Amino acid sequence: MDDLRMLRDLGRDLEHEPPPTLARQRSRLLAGRRRRPRRRAALVGLVAVLTAALLAAPVLLLRAERSSQEPLTERTQRPGTALNILIIGSDRRRGDPVGARADTIVLLHLPAGRKPVTAVSIPRDSAVRIGPCKPGAATRTDRIGAALAEGGPGCVRKAVETAAKVKIDHHAVVDFAGLKRMVDALGGVEITLPRAMADRQSGLSVPAGRQILDGDQALAYIRARREVGDGSDLDRIRRQQQFMKALARRAGERLSSPDWLAAFLRMAAGAVDSDLGFREMHALARSPGRAGLNDLVLATVPVAPDRTDPNRVVWHPARADRLFAPFRH
Amino acid sequence: MVSAMTAPPAATAGDSTLIRESLERPEAFAGLFDRYAGVLYRYVSRRLGPEVAEDLVGETFLVAFDRRHRYDLSYDDARPWLFGIITRLVSRHRRTEAARYRALLRSPVDGGAECPADRVAAGVTAAAARPALARALAALPARDRDVLLLVAWGDLSYEEAARALSIPVGTVRSRLNRARRKVRTSLGDTNPLHEEA
Repeated sequence: MDDLRMLRDLGRDLEHEPPPTLARQRSRLLAGRRRRPRRRAALVGLVAVLTAALLAAPVLLLRAERSSQEPLTERTQRPGTALNILIIGSDRRRGDPVGARADTIVLLHLPAGRKPVTAVSIPRDSAVRIGPCKPGAATRTDRIGAALAEGGPGCVRKAVETAAKVKIDHHAVVDFAGLKRMVDALGGVEITLPRAMADRQSGLSVPAGRQILDGDQALAYIRARREVGDGSDLDRIRRQQQFMKALARRAGERLSSPDWLAAFLRMAAGAVDSDLGFREMHALARSPGRAGLNDLVLATVPVAPDRTDPNRVVWHPARADRLFAPFRH
Repeated sequence: MVSAMTAPPAATAGDSTLIRESLERPEAFAGLFDRYAGVLYRYVSRRLGPEVAEDLVGETFLVAFDRRHRYDLSYDDARPWLFGIITRLVSRHRRTEAARYRALLRSPVDGGAECPADRVAAGVTAAAARPALARALAALPARDRDVLLLVAWGDLSYEEAARALSIPVGTVRSRLNRARRKVRTSLGDTNPLHEEA
């Protein structure tokens, strides 16, 4: 038996004929433009904004029926105070703080009246002044995504404050583990699976159709490549979006109940690495002037390619300045 | 259909002529697509499946187009160049590829299309060997697998594979030998006489 011949036979079995749709790739070539990276960046931005929407949910779905017994911190207590909260989505794995990069950065603005809430996505490739974040380090211009690994959330916070000329009151870092716990705290999310999902590595198995996924399953669903969908990155982003929407919907249903809200916030205070504790979050959530998800204004910092470095983008100075104007309270 | 549009000057011209022409007239590059998109699609569909293949072929030609001014026009056959580009793009999908081979381990052999006579001719071993082959492919280091599959599935000669991967022919030989040895071990044949010089 000849190994090469057997290999060729196997290859023929695995082969597919080019479909007629392959002609689309020819048109793409003739169009001469590489649009795909840009489209992907836009999708990633949307995921960031939806993450922010989820985190903002307790704030947006404020319920002020019951008076508070807890002493509140001064700043969150007064409804007449506007707040800026920086939300950093990190790709850190549990127990591995080294090498964490900021995947998504969103700046939330809660005005004095608590609505409308503005969420501005900051592209992680934005070239900004960073530092000094470590003793002995110099100030330099770099992608803002690199600031988290270098100096933690405080470093990102400082970089955003400098670039946007905005004072940030609080920050929160969410990672995959935090997301998982949030899903569990909401009692799972409802997802419609086109087909059964089986992941041998994690031992997960979920049948097709409408399902309530718990934290572990939801995480496998948004991270999986080959187990569901067509294995492409775009497909995964599509799934992440679907997940975020389902999560926001679920949060909307659940968090209107004060008990669920309190439970969720207690968990969130532990799951999210933030300078905002349970009490502050709760105070925020129960401050008067509640807003709904419709009162959320979404935006992205206007950017242009950095001429000195193709991997970076630079903010459009005038337009960014206008965007952040309401944040300067 | 599509090839008819560029057929007159392109059909007979060599690849290097086409590429040279595309420097002045970018549309000419589409002639290269018409020639090789099918071949590349079939190759990638083997390694990664049809879902990713289409996009990857498109990507390959975009990359090639961007680099066409660096093409060494002394080579008239652009296949090794294009296979080199697509190999690098395939490497971004390593997990998809490994998963594809592993899937063969569990899926039953679909002998439906084969006629019994073929099966007898090929020997029962061909079907039986599939899991072993799949396991070997999934376990190979990426650079050995690249060489093996460029030769076995891409039909490139050793020299062409060397050009595709920008490595010396000797390296192609040694990687291929190593890969084949592992495949044969997996098949349960360790005959040293199968080694190539």
